Amino acid sequence: MTVPTDSGERRRAGDRPPAIAELIDEATVQEITEQAWLALVGEDEVLVPLPAPLPADTLSSWVEIVGPWTGSVVLTCGRDTALALTRALLREHAPEVLEEEDVDDAMGELANVVGGNVKAVLPGPSVLGLPETGTTPPPGREADTCRVDVLWRGEPLTVSVQSHAERENEVPL
Amino acid sequence: MKILVADDSRVMRQIVIRTLRQAGYDDHDIVEAEDGRDAYEKVQSESPDLVLSDWNMPNMTGLECLQALRGSGSSVPFGFVTSEGSPEMREKAADAGALFLIAKPFTADTFTEHLEGVLA
Repeated sequence: MTVPTDSGERRRAGDRPPAIAELIDEATVQEITEQAWLALVGEDEVLVPLPAPLPADTLSSWVEIVGPWTGSVVLTCGRDTALALTRALLREHAPEVLEEEDVDDAMGELANVVGGNVKAVLPGPSVLGLPETGTTPPPGREADTCRVDVLWRGEPLTVSVQSHAERENEVPL
Repeated sequence: MKILVADDSRVMRQIVIRTLRQAGYDDHDIVEAEDGRDAYEKVQSESPDLVLSDWNMPNMTGLECLQALRGSGSSVPFGFVTSEGSPEMREKAADAGALFLIAKPFTADTFTEHLEGVLA
């Protein structure tokens, strides 16, 4: 009979999953977002790292990452900016009047590409969910969020890598 | 030559098609599929020369599509274009018979590099 080897490692009662600040920094999130913009939105589409208040009417898109670190990568911008992004992605294929489905698709894909590359930096194994969109982003723990504020074509946009809110109440093993 | 582009995002299908054109593959016929199941069926009905497929899709993932194709005896050249490019995924893709995995975001140069040998 084989007795399993005891590694001696124990998870202490006070152990928490790793904080996002220990795993990724703002500069990396910014770089990932810039690469996604250049490739998908356009070669001349720069993101200026300046914070500015978001308008009242915003749209968010996000993908969930589930693994040693669990949370969401959330993209938020004004609705007009989301429409402009959708037109930039679709270019000559953009219809005269954009459907909500097109905007959800474009915003979802941007979150998906940024999220996929954020996931690659975080410890694995982890699983990436399908993109979702909504007027209200999923709640995150403010204390465990890596957030980047940028301007695209002068309009504010945020990218946030945020732990899930419910983990705040997680009962440790 | 015919290329099947499978992605549940219409926007991403347009971007893949645009990048194919930028990479010089502008004289190829393009067929679109909106998930893995659609791609599987269109390989049977359209007989493409290459499949470029997303990984994460509803109904049937790109990997399940590839496995189903190989299980049915199809040897259509198949490559992934996906937002994740971890070593584990690359290994799974290769084990299932994929020729390459292009991680998003990509450029026309990335496409040229991977497609040169396939669509010579």
